[in-house]
Amino acid sequence: MLKNYLKIAFKVFLRRKFFTFISLFAISFTLVVLMVAVSFLDHVFGAQPPETKLDRTIGVFHLQMKSPDDNNTWSSPGGYKFFDRYARNLPGVEIMSLLTDTFDGGKVYSYLDGNKIESYLKHTDGEFWRIMEFTFLEGGPFTSDDEKNANFVAVINEATRKKFFDGQSALGRTLEVDGQRFRVVGVVANVPYLRTIPFADIWVPISTMKTQAYKNQLLGGFNALFLARSKADFPMIKEEFQSRLKQVEFDDPKEYNRMIGYAETLFEFMSRPLTNSRQEEPAKVGRALATIFIIMILFMLLPAINLVNINISRIMERASEIGVRKAFGASSWTLVGQFIVENVLLSLIGGAIGFVLSRFVLRAITESGFFPYADFQLNYRVFLYGLAVAVFFGLMSGVYPAWKMSRLHPADALKGVAR
Amino acid sequence: MIKHLLKLVWNRKRINFLITVEIFFSFLVVFAVLVFAVYYTDNYRQPLGFNYENVWSVTLDMKSASTPGSRESDKQQQFATIKNMLAGLREFSEVESAAGIWGIPYWSGDWTGDREINGKGKDFEIGFNEATDEVKDVLGLNIVRGRWFGKEDDGATNYRPVVINQLMARTFFGDEDPIGKDISNPKDKERVEQRVIGVVDDFRKGGEFSAKRGYVFHRNDLASEKVSPPRSLIIKVRPGVTAAFEEKILARLQAEARDWSFDIKPLAQMREANFQEYLVPMAAFGLIAGFLLIMVGLGLTGVLWQSVTQRTKEIGLRRAKGATRRRIYRQILGELFIITTIGLLAGVLVVVQFPLLNFMGFANSRVYAISAAISLALVYLLTTICGLYPSRLATRVQPAEALHYE
Amino acid sequence: MTSQATASTTSANGAQTSTANMIQLEGIEKVYRTDRIETVALSDINLSVRAGEFISIMGPSGSGKSTLLNVIGLLDVPTGGKVSVNSKPVTSYGDKHLARVRNEEIGFVFQTFHLINDLSVVDNVEIPLLYRKGLSGAERRKLALRALDRVGLHARVHHFPSQLSGGQQQRVAIARAIVGNPRILLADEPTGNLDSQMGDEIMGVLKGLNDDGATIVMVTHDPRQSEKTERIVRLFDGRQVS
Ligand SMILES: Nc1ncnc2c1ncn2[C@@H]1O[C@H](COP(=O)(O)OP(=O)(O)O)[C@@H](O)[C@H]1O
Ligand SMILES: [Mg+2]
Repeated sequence: MLKNYLKIAFKVFLRRKFFTFISLFAISFTLVVLMVAVSFLDHVFGAQPPETKLDRTIGVFHLQMKSPDDNNTWSSPGGYKFFDRYARNLPGVEIMSLLTDTFDGGKVYSYLDGNKIESYLKHTDGEFWRIMEFTFLEGGPFTSDDEKNANFVAVINEATRKKFFDGQSALGRTLEVDGQRFRVVGVVANVPYLRTIPFADIWVPISTMKTQAYKNQLLGGFNALFLARSKADFPMIKEEFQSRLKQVEFDDPKEYNRMIGYAETLFEFMSRPLTNSRQEEPAKVGRALATIFIIMILFMLLPAINLVNINISRIMERASEIGVRKAFGASSWTLVGQFIVENVLLSLIGGAIGFVLSRFVLRAITESGFFPYADFQLNYRVFLYGLAVAVFFGLMSGVYPAWKMSRLHPADALKGVAR
Repeated sequence: MIKHLLKLVWNRKRINFLITVEIFFSFLVVFAVLVFAVYYTDNYRQPLGFNYENVWSVTLDMKSASTPGSRESDKQQQFATIKNMLAGLREFSEVESAAGIWGIPYWSGDWTGDREINGKGKDFEIGFNEATDEVKDVLGLNIVRGRWFGKEDDGATNYRPVVINQLMARTFFGDEDPIGKDISNPKDKERVEQRVIGVVDDFRKGGEFSAKRGYVFHRNDLASEKVSPPRSLIIKVRPGVTAAFEEKILARLQAEARDWSFDIKPLAQMREANFQEYLVPMAAFGLIAGFLLIMVGLGLTGVLWQSVTQRTKEIGLRRAKGATRRRIYRQILGELFIITTIGLLAGVLVVVQFPLLNFMGFANSRVYAISAAISLALVYLLTTICGLYPSRLATRVQPAEALHYE
Repeated sequence: MTSQATASTTSANGAQTSTANMIQLEGIEKVYRTDRIETVALSDINLSVRAGEFISIMGPSGSGKSTLLNVIGLLDVPTGGKVSVNSKPVTSYGDKHLARVRNEEIGFVFQTFHLINDLSVVDNVEIPLLYRKGLSGAERRKLALRALDRVGLHARVHHFPSQLSGGQQQRVAIARAIVGNPRILLADEPTGNLDSQMGDEIMGVLKGLNDDGATIVMVTHDPRQSEKTERIVRLFDGRQVS
């Protein structure tokens, strides 16, 4: 019977090319947009190398100092002195790492044979390489001792190796950036630009900064990362961090006497603008997720209504066919079966087209170079969810009216009574 | 005729309802995208207030706690270094002029505030900047009244000279002459007079797509306690100077301060990045909305087509009773027009709530009105296009076909 | 009125006992209700059709002929009364059971053909066989071709309905009605949309089927055609007048 259903379904698709085209267009287009959106979120927030332990990682990405009368606020990434003095040894934290914010003054220049080379430089410590799992193409990370002894060593990415060393082995060779010379100890695979925490072209020890002024700053330029023993320790870490904030000794308490900030996941931090939550309050993840979800639902609403419309039209058009089939012995269930097969098949074909198109679009975005070192991947799980939604709508919109119609007496169906 | 059409629409209310809902949502989608498009186009057509061509920026990273709490001696040291740098830069024959400024155009960092003076300026956003005397030449600012900062301001000790933009002048002083007026914030406890000495064109630091707003330049004399070292230097280079000159600049600056870092970039390049930031999301959303519309259009065509096929008998009957082809054509399009209008009415009802709820609050009612008008036109156009083929199909129905269906 | 004709059909499938009533209607009533109007389409119809009989139903337009045929063909349920087909009390049957009876016992020919435009001629004819278990595709095709042969349409099997003339379409419809070898053939004005020559041809086909043992009920308002049948039932305003 199924073979028969399939055969009939294909015949119907071919004879009703326009309707088939619209349905396929709606389904595949909706899936493509969903897939690109989800891939983007996944690319920015998903756990992928080097951030493989993202589920256990929490950080401090922004701090604020307030004046006694609350009129002045100084807001910036945290300072080395603050983290070094107050954020170490939080309970539940296995590893803590400090790193400069690549996008806050991390852009540096080198001049090589009269050509200007632009790179992003990140200052960090030995622990950074233990929280992150970089793929080393050669050599290895620098160590905590390198950081302690201010050794001028650097880990570079593949793209930098290409620019400076023509892709040849770079181990032990030196490169000059921003007027300083570093010896290369490791080369890693490129990290996407949108992975804002680990991203850089060149990683060097903090202690190689041009001046040691950073050691006296409560605010300025640094992020802290904490690798927790488990996700369950997050609340404890967050709480302890709040109590640490109260212990801060200020340089001039008349000017600034209060420190505000949160230990939070990257998603919590990045979702703040979405929920309009100010830096002074904890991030509202629930609301951020709900907002994203609602936007997606709203977006899918129009294609869904469209699909329902088309399907109802299709069924009405075939009222007389339903009547005929009933007159010659099809039971209601047989007919419903036919429409289920038709709609599921159509959704699946639309899904397949959407799948191919999504990969194509993602590849195009990746290769456009608009987001440096990006590699947008199709998220198969989400794709299946999307497909399930498409099938669901196909069923709801196609089978429900068909079922109602099949319940009609054939005489009425033949007259096309159903409106 | 209208009454007759309304009756037809009502009798087919179930399928028409779905079309109405679809049109309603399409309108909202088009409207949302258009509000942004109209808003940005509107901004783009305003004068920019400065000239970015052949201007290079050098952002300074002084690698020290250059914070409000830093020690005064540190600051004086930095002032001296920057003065030397500017003097050094001016020696190059490639350089027309060089200046120091807190916030360079197109930079995303911002310094804003608001103030109410004599009941005016409530909820009026003002941007601030601190500029040295040469900024006027480097950015080609156009003085429409009074004058820009100069040596004659060195003697100003009991007040701070400021230059404001035209929008600011109009908002606070209307037709009055703003020169000599005080614009300091009445709420400030230790308030120092801020005396307007000049008015410039509507300077927009945020670039072509940013909104017009009030603007205040403070003078940076690279000396007094009240000002901080500029974040950036801006240099006007002679036309035809190439990027190779950057290395020379860098060497010169590095010679003044070995431990500082410098980020050299032509403003034109920052402008391009700034454009991308606005246009890429716009293009992405526009593309999605466009595809959504195509999809809705196709769907609508399909539904209308089917409805014409289904109504062959009715149409044939009308033809048999003497309705002309033209009349049938008008009837089908007329029905569609009614359905579209109902959906759009609902959409407009929702959209007029936006300004009241301050949803998408960045746009003013003019932008709303234009966007709504264009969206209405677009959706009408879309439904008409979708209706053309099916109604043509309807006119081809022969009177005999009415009989054919018994 | 049923006193005439003591069943002398040349029954090809001889198993059929001639005295059995193929179709039996008792006190059939059909009322259509809409928001405002109530139409009595049929009232108190009592009718028996014996196996192998060929009867016609006549009456002015709107007198309930189609409704009556739909009730007999189980396409519509009466609001009152009892229907038996081949001695089965179908009034009490559920959807699945009804579908089975429609499939095995009854073949329907509509005035407006009601062919499925998306399917080719032979696919249209195969439809009743699709809902019958245990038939392979090849067997279905063979039976469909044989039925088309019987109505004289073997040359047009891969055309689509829109490519055929009205008479040809009606012959396809008849082929579809007889392909499952039903014992009852119901035809609603099968010649109504055709010119008289074409109508005569169709009539000839029906007559041949009746000779092979099919019980036929035909609605018509063409006296020339009804004369060729064994018995005429007349309706007026939903009532049986003879
Ligand atoms: N679905 C329906 N709803 C309401 N009235 C109907 C319906 N179908 C038929 N009728 C009415 O029933 C009566 C008989 O119709 P019908 O059997 O089609 O007549 P005819 O003898 O011309 O075939 C007519 O008055 C018709 O208006
Ligand atoms: Mg009739």
